[in-house]
Amino acid sequence: MTDTVTITIDGQDFEVPKGMNLVDAAKLHGIGIPVFCYHPKLDPVGMCRMCLVELGNVAIDRTTGAPELDEQGNPVIRWFPKLQTACTQTVSQGMVLRTTSDMVVEGRENILEFLLTSHPLDCPVCDKGGECPLQNLTMAYGPGESRFIYDDKIRLAKHVPLGKLIYLDRERCIQCARCTRFCDEIVGDDVLAFHERGRRLQIVTISDPPFDTKFSGNTTDICPVGALTTTDFRFGARPWELTEVSTICPYCPVGCNLNASTRMDREFGGKAMIKRIMPRQNERVNEIWICDKGRFGHHHSRHEERLLAPLMRNKSGELVEVEWPAVYKAIAKQLKAHGDQAGFVGDSTLSNEDLWELRRLAELSGGSPRLGLWPATMSGGDVVAQVGVGSETRLQDLGPGSVILVMASDFEEEAPIWWLQVKQAADRGAKVVVANARPTKLDRYASAVIHYRYDEAVGVLNSFTAPLLSGDGQLGQGNGWGALQSDLQNAEVTHADTANLLASAENLVIFLGSEGLTLEQHAELMQAAANLLIVSGHVGRPNNGLIPVWPGANVQGAWDMGFSAEATADLLANPPALWVIGGADVAGEDIRMATALEQAEFVVVTAQFMTPTAAHADIVLPRQSFAERAGTYTNGLRRVQRFYPAQGPIGDALPDWKIFAHVSAQMGGPRPPVAAGTIFRDIAQRVERYIGMDYTRLAWFEPQFPDVGGDDLYYGGTAYSNYGGLGLQWPAEAEAEQPQFSVRPVRTAAPQTDGLTLVPVWVLFDRGHLFEKSELMHHRMPQPYAAFNPDDAARLGLTDGDRVTLAVEGHELTVTAQVGDDNPAGAVLLPRRLSGDATLSTPAACTVQKIESMQKVEG
Amino acid sequence: MAHILLRDLDIPDIWQFDTYVANGGYEGLKQAIGNHTPAEVIQIVLDANLRGRGGAGFPTGRKWSFIPQNEAVKYVVVNADESEPGTFKDRQLLEKNPHQVIEGAMIAAYAIQATAVYIYCRGEFWDLAHALEERIEEARQANLVGENVLGSGWNCPMFVHLGAGAYICGEESALLNSLQGLLGQPRVRPPFPAQKGGGLYYEPTVVNNVETLANVPWILVNGADAFKQIGTSESPGPKIFCMSGHIARPGNYELPLGITFRELIFEHAGGIPNGKQLKGILPSGASGPVLRATDEVLDSPLTYESVAKLGSTLGSASFILMDEDTDMVWAAAKMAHFFKHESCGKCTPCREGTYWLERIYERMMRGEGTEHDLHLLNSVPRQMVGVVLCALGDFAANPVLSTLKNFPDEYERYIRQRPVREQTADTLQDYARKEAGEHPAAVGEGGL
Ligand SMILES: Cc1cc2nc3c(=O)[nH]c(=O)nc-3n(C[C@H](O)[C@H](O)[C@H](O)COP(=O)(O)O)c2cc1C
Ligand code: SF4
Ligand code: SF4
Ligand code: SF4
Ligand code: FES
Repeated sequence: MTDTVTITIDGQDFEVPKGMNLVDAAKLHGIGIPVFCYHPKLDPVGMCRMCLVELGNVAIDRTTGAPELDEQGNPVIRWFPKLQTACTQTVSQGMVLRTTSDMVVEGRENILEFLLTSHPLDCPVCDKGGECPLQNLTMAYGPGESRFIYDDKIRLAKHVPLGKLIYLDRERCIQCARCTRFCDEIVGDDVLAFHERGRRLQIVTISDPPFDTKFSGNTTDICPVGALTTTDFRFGARPWELTEVSTICPYCPVGCNLNASTRMDREFGGKAMIKRIMPRQNERVNEIWICDKGRFGHHHSRHEERLLAPLMRNKSGELVEVEWPAVYKAIAKQLKAHGDQAGFVGDSTLSNEDLWELRRLAELSGGSPRLGLWPATMSGGDVVAQVGVGSETRLQDLGPGSVILVMASDFEEEAPIWWLQVKQAADRGAKVVVANARPTKLDRYASAVIHYRYDEAVGVLNSFTAPLLSGDGQLGQGNGWGALQSDLQNAEVTHADTANLLASAENLVIFLGSEGLTLEQHAELMQAAANLLIVSGHVGRPNNGLIPVWPGANVQGAWDMGFSAEATADLLANPPALWVIGGADVAGEDIRMATALEQAEFVVVTAQFMTPTAAHADIVLPRQSFAERAGTYTNGLRRVQRFYPAQGPIGDALPDWKIFAHVSAQMGGPRPPVAAGTIFRDIAQRVERYIGMDYTRLAWFEPQFPDVGGDDLYYGGTAYSNYGGLGLQWPAEAEAEQPQFSVRPVRTAAPQTDGLTLVPVWVLFDRGHLFEKSELMHHRMPQPYAAFNPDDAARLGLTDGDRVTLAVEGHELTVTAQVGDDNPAGAVLLPRRLSGDATLSTPAACTVQKIESMQKVEG
Repeated sequence: MAHILLRDLDIPDIWQFDTYVANGGYEGLKQAIGNHTPAEVIQIVLDANLRGRGGAGFPTGRKWSFIPQNEAVKYVVVNADESEPGTFKDRQLLEKNPHQVIEGAMIAAYAIQATAVYIYCRGEFWDLAHALEERIEEARQANLVGENVLGSGWNCPMFVHLGAGAYICGEESALLNSLQGLLGQPRVRPPFPAQKGGGLYYEPTVVNNVETLANVPWILVNGADAFKQIGTSESPGPKIFCMSGHIARPGNYELPLGITFRELIFEHAGGIPNGKQLKGILPSGASGPVLRATDEVLDSPLTYESVAKLGSTLGSASFILMDEDTDMVWAAAKMAHFFKHESCGKCTPCREGTYWLERIYERMMRGEGTEHDLHLLNSVPRQMVGVVLCALGDFAANPVLSTLKNFPDEYERYIRQRPVREQTADTLQDYARKEAGEHPAAVGEGGL
């Protein structure tokens, strides 16, 4: 129980948590204190003065410690002579306030009158009109009429671009500093600031490029007026025309809850169309934030290049349109012929239902199903099932006493909202340890930074585990403790301070990526992390355990449905004759895959676009995007979350599950289920982890606190209401009543090669086949490059900006060289998905050739 | 009597280190460190009842006593922003008697065991700031500033910082932000500067005015009782009065608190020139309410309490005098312009209110004022007072409300006869508005 105190509001007593902000405490009991600048996720600044109240305290007799009483026996209240701002107060015992007295009413009227003197009469054309706190509070608390002579109004610029995504209307800005505080406090990107002073005080961007942050869109949500609008949505629709549909971001393992604001739109044939993407509050996942990829990355869902009908190769080898029944038949025929030699690959954007039906199809095809997941960069689904972070972990609960280790990941690029939450945990006092072969942005907030050689990753974790192994261990017999102990007894303690930090942690969360690691190495790293967590006892409870930085939205779901990265690797090592590929652009992303598909006999692909993979295929099936269908994704914290159909269908495209189910039926399987929910019921019966879940339960929600932007717009900003569900987490094995743990020694042998290794890395704003369709984001996507350490570059005779050819496994790639001190020696960092050229999923040896000609390409 | 503060008037070379020392300089610091514990120093200043000379008159010893003793990092910040219209005393002290300010600051620093002293000078004081750095270096070489001060084992360097020309940066919390390299806007209080979280770099900090600190060495040498012999018991000590406007002998006058307005204006500063009558008095620059020069006012003593009783403030004691020919509405208009220009814009009532008031005065100066404007002048400032984040918003209401109260007939004249003061009206024009009118394209592009 948190301590509570009693405060009196308008004559009524309330119990409220001690130390809570007064505005929040009032809201908790349904008492409205209007605010503009105050936001429960930001530090109070007391700028707008809207939250004025009469404030007093019960007078306490110093000698007795009891409240002083007046003649009538009532407690004496000492009132402040002037109105006070509620948002700058934290509640304390005996606090008394009036929120409805004449003085308060007049005070609020006055503030609103002041605010409106500079405000334009834009409501009829303003994007915020209809969901605007300034409108609402003016109606509720404003003076009936204005005494301001309109001619006196200041006129200011109305279309000021703050970068290419956000526009500022200086007349509408009420100088609340929410946008600047968001950038400074929540993100830590120094990109917006106030310029000038007085009535000329105005928001400017101070970074180059302008508004240089991955989270810029959030400022438009928390802006309490229509001063900040996105290029994507401004003038696009009126809020009251929009229907909010709950969905889940299809891009990264965070699994941000989104609202798709839709309306029937002329531009989209009168069908429901996504006009904008907004965050949907889920305090267990993304709170109220999303990154710009999730917000602006929805354009692929109705891009003009979407595939509209099934395609099949004719006799002369061209892909021509055919009807669905024809392709079902053709695929079934192929599978019957080669079923036991078929390989199946599911993309991270496939829902659990899609993957389940793909698996059923694989099972029907005979042989033991070969189920590969994509991208196949990370191993360790079983480790996550064992020591994954405890249920009800909330990153926003991590603070003093917690240690967060982020390893082998360029965290902001791979999981932006986790990055933001870890950054804030550091601000609250959690200790962040960042370990990677190169500096990343999170280093700024780290208590300790460890830079290792890529192949030393396991050794770093082992060195943390080793000192904890003294003694007999609490795990009982047969769990590998002894073996681990003897294996690590001579382990070098390389980072003693950090080891001590970890040893003394109350909570320990490990985020693990796979940068620079082969699949085998990554499997070892996951096990090494499991060893550390088990040995140190940081498993089986909230805010402790492992969080994999999976390379996509539903990689966890893919593991749960029986897919694995190892299976993908095996498919490459022993290529099947027949491939069935769901959603993934394997050939566009990976040169090994491209080769494998070229050599395959028959390739079936579901795709939204004519990707390189689809171009290889014999049958191409138009799949629906996440926007037009229902399903579930399971995020990196193992939370299963529903998304709902938001947008009208396009062409003859179908959801993947339906396509696979129809082929199954063709092969003699059961009749295709009618809805995604039916499949989920099937999953919940057969996949142990999902037992007890169903669509209704996944859709549960509860009042969330702070009630940011509930429909009453109490805290201003736009609504984030969550009616789609908060999702359910499946428990890790470590959470069982009597968990069975086992540890196991892991070592990585140093590689023999002393040449260069090509290390694929992630960038958030990439040119993956879906995100690339958001043209408004192109300016944020880097040109393809390969990054070199200065010593390596010198040896190769390279300077920054040179064109180079990278040769790897018989393939050649041409990119621009970037030379920088931060790049690790011996590695060539190659971002994935930056061009149409395939790269690699996992590291490999490479050679580099400088292109000497004049072909320098404009960067 | 010899001066205590403006000692340059007695000893012109006192700015030189040797002269200062030869005339008893740094004796106060030596006594503080040699004979007293820090707590005793605070007690002496408390006993002397020295009150802050920066405007608010807060007891200096009390302020020092708020500093938590067990914090590792603490600061003293000298407020040399001196931006109040009509105030020019700190400049004379820093220019002509700098070592006394340095000494006072070091005594304050010793009293709270500060880790460093910062002197925040207004941007226009750049020449003075450079000279000050040389004076500090002299003191450092004499082991009076810096490492192991006077062999006490206590280290305390001193730095000079230049502002960028903003009145608001004289407000202590805005000053601290500015000193930290942040936007010069006031902070929410509590936490106050003296508290952890409220001061410079969020460490406990004493902010004192230049003149306040200049009193301290004398108090250490001569004792609290001697200090209380000067002035009144509530407002003891000498005070520098800055005299400007319609006055025969403008300049700084160091006099004991408690003398009357009349003595100050007529005996010391030579009265009103050209045989004119005195009409209005601004006792504390633009920020305090204007007084009408009645006999009651003129015979009142100049102490913090009695000026407050008259409905104004002694503030920094910057007297701007206005003779019978002064147009009080015009004067108020100029002050409205000043506050609109200097409002930091952080809080709504001040940002919008000062802008609005300027618009109304602009209209009046154009000869277009109406009854409605008079009504607004009566209510808009009242909507600002008491609900703003710092005192500037309150200050901004003062010239309007006090001229309305004391000189209502002059406002009537503006409404009835509508005199035109074109040039003033033009100064009052907001330049953003002006640009919008003259160069709509430039403003449309987002030009500043
Ligand atoms: C708008 C505003 C401007 C101020 N300007 C100054 C100034 O220029 N110099 C100064 O010493 N105090 C100024 N003050 C007062 C300071 O906030 C603070 O009270 C003072 O520095 C405290 O020092 P003292 O206790 O020694 O007087 C100003 C206050 C306000 C509200
Ligand atoms: S742009 Fe919006 S969020 Fe930013 S200061 Fe202005 S009103 Fe506030
Ligand atoms: S953080 Fe990840 S899940 Fe969230 S919006 Fe961005 S890409 Fe989508
Ligand atoms: S009262 Fe004026 S100067 Fe003071 S904080 Fe508010 S806007 Fe800034
Ligand atoms: S001052 Fe409290 S909400 Fe703005």
